[in-house]
Amino acid sequence: MKRLRSALILVAVLVSSYAASAQNDWIRTGTGLGQEKVRLGVADFKSSGADPRNEALLKTFNDTLWNDLDNAGIFDMASKSFYPLVQPSQPGEVKFDAWANPPANVAMLAFGNLGVVGSDLSVQGWLDDVKNTQSPIVLGKQYKEEATDAKARLIAHKFANEIIFRLGGGVNGITESKLYYISNRSGRKEVWAMDYDGADQNQITHLGALASLSPRISPDASRIAFSSYPKGSGLEIMMYSNELGRMVNFPRFGGTNATPAWAPDGTKLAFASSMRGAMEIYVADASGAGPKRVSSARGPDVSPVWNPKTGAQIAFVSGRSGLPQIYIMDADGTNLQRMTDQGYAVSPSWSPNGQFLAFAWRRNYGPGAPGGWDIYVMDVATKQFIQLTHDAGNNDFPTWSPDGRHIAFQRGGNGREQIWTMLADGSKAHAISNTGANSQPSWGIK
Amino acid sequence: MRARADIYSESDGWKGPLTWSAGLHGLLVAAIFIYAAIIGGVHGEDWGGSTSGGGAMSATLVSKAAIPLPRKEVVTENILANESEGLTQSQPKQVEQPPPEAIPIPEKTTKPQKQPKPSIDKSKITPKPSNVVPYGESGPVNAPTTMVNLSGSPGGLNFGSGDFGARYAWYVDAVRRKVSENWRKYEIDPNISNARRVYITFEILRSGDAANIQIEQSSGVPSLDMSATRALQRIDTFGPLPPGYNGNKVSVEFWFDYKK
Repeated sequence: MKRLRSALILVAVLVSSYAASAQNDWIRTGTGLGQEKVRLGVADFKSSGADPRNEALLKTFNDTLWNDLDNAGIFDMASKSFYPLVQPSQPGEVKFDAWANPPANVAMLAFGNLGVVGSDLSVQGWLDDVKNTQSPIVLGKQYKEEATDAKARLIAHKFANEIIFRLGGGVNGITESKLYYISNRSGRKEVWAMDYDGADQNQITHLGALASLSPRISPDASRIAFSSYPKGSGLEIMMYSNELGRMVNFPRFGGTNATPAWAPDGTKLAFASSMRGAMEIYVADASGAGPKRVSSARGPDVSPVWNPKTGAQIAFVSGRSGLPQIYIMDADGTNLQRMTDQGYAVSPSWSPNGQFLAFAWRRNYGPGAPGGWDIYVMDVATKQFIQLTHDAGNNDFPTWSPDGRHIAFQRGGNGREQIWTMLADGSKAHAISNTGANSQPSWGIK
Repeated sequence: MRARADIYSESDGWKGPLTWSAGLHGLLVAAIFIYAAIIGGVHGEDWGGSTSGGGAMSATLVSKAAIPLPRKEVVTENILANESEGLTQSQPKQVEQPPPEAIPIPEKTTKPQKQPKPSIDKSKITPKPSNVVPYGESGPVNAPTTMVNLSGSPGGLNFGSGDFGARYAWYVDAVRRKVSENWRKYEIDPNISNARRVYITFEILRSGDAANIQIEQSSGVPSLDMSATRALQRIDTFGPLPPGYNGNKVSVEFWFDYKK
């Protein structure tokens, strides 16, 4: 009897749970189901007309799209040599079997066409889930811009961003983001900007001062704060407006003022200043009004960065215990916590999700000590850390990309520094600048 | 020696049949499950699904065509069988009579008590609304249901058939990757080398936010349960639900396998 009753209850439970699940759409999935990256195929876009300009624009577009998706860090790019001979340019032309099976063996396929009509460049792009023959289209987009090389790149960036947004779990791609950095190409150290992939490098400031240092782009990318030597004064915080295209006023505090950092809402600025003697962290309004000291210790405190997620904490470098170490405190100066335990640690950068600090660390410091200057990432909650660069000279000034998947940094020294980027796990490191000396990158959303 | 007459001592007599009965019932239940697994499985999952291969029947939805589909069956409540006590009056309850005594004693006969009149509580009667729809005569207007073409994918109306995973496999994949990325295995007790699966349920809202994160089935290892819950709490968004999907949310059951 008992057995029968329990069996009946089981049946009843099964039936009722089925009935409950039928009312709502369910996803059942889990970890450990194989490779974690989407295998993506990108068929070269085809020309949709006979305009002679198509060929050059197609090359720019295809190269940019491929690089953007390859750099995104979330795709396993299927090599083009594995692709079927006939590649689609319209949704109806996709041969699902040929793409979904080896050798191509892709899960997703991006394809489309491009053509110049009059002075307009028109691009249609699709993303297909080739293993889902019932409703394959994940994304379909159409773009129209001027028929120039720059616009072809822009469209490729935008289309890549859409793909990354959809397949990357709702995180916007960084293909339209920009890096702001210091370069000496004009003879003086000035603030420069470039696309995230190193394209379109151009000079922002023309101050002609002794040097400009540590540019920091505001969270909405409207202003650049940096420090420089205006005439007849020491190092001061300066402000450049991206929207106005010129310098804007910022008060001078006297003493040495350096390493500005934006609060995540863009209304406050933290910086290191010796306006009242010792080098301490100050927080002021974004206009420079009302600076308040938030740190006080015997050693110098510099290089503040805000927790971008909460805006409630500031990480900084302090020499209060001897060699510089990374510390964290609440934005009002309370709850001080030391993060690094040895060596020489500088240049903290807080990840956009607030979980990690990237910084430059020489773990064994001193004459003849092993190891070099390397980039490390530390989990703020547990203080667990990993080393991202190995045996590659001096690495410093890490900065997180807005999507939290990449880190840009400066590698090299003695006037030969260059800007590099890598994925936040240390892989795919490559230089994106090569002329002059380029340093101190800051990654902005645009 | 005392005499003993134990009439219940024949235990063999009904233990056998009971075992048979239980065994046969067990067989019957097993047969139901086997039937459901073999026959029901074939019918339920693979038919026309994405995994069924090229041999499956494929139905092409007609886009933007007005197909006079049969109206949906929405039945009005049977007004005779609802909770309203209605206008009809049921028979009043019989007042219980005390059992008559065996021998009536004439001297002690009491006066017959007056039976209270059954009265109708008028407040309990709900008046019949004048605009009530007669039984079986309501429901949606019998108009053609239109198929729609949503963002390039021939979708049609979604009847909540639960085929989200089949239609938007790429979204399911993105969810799986995102959770896996945010799972920090170092939060798990290092002494644990093998644990049962932990099942977490949550919902993804239209905006892509996760809500209602709950442990459905614990692994028995608190630190593993905790790390799984934290993995989900870390995630701000999974990205908006696919534009072609017209539900407000999807429910997700996510499991974590841990093995060192």
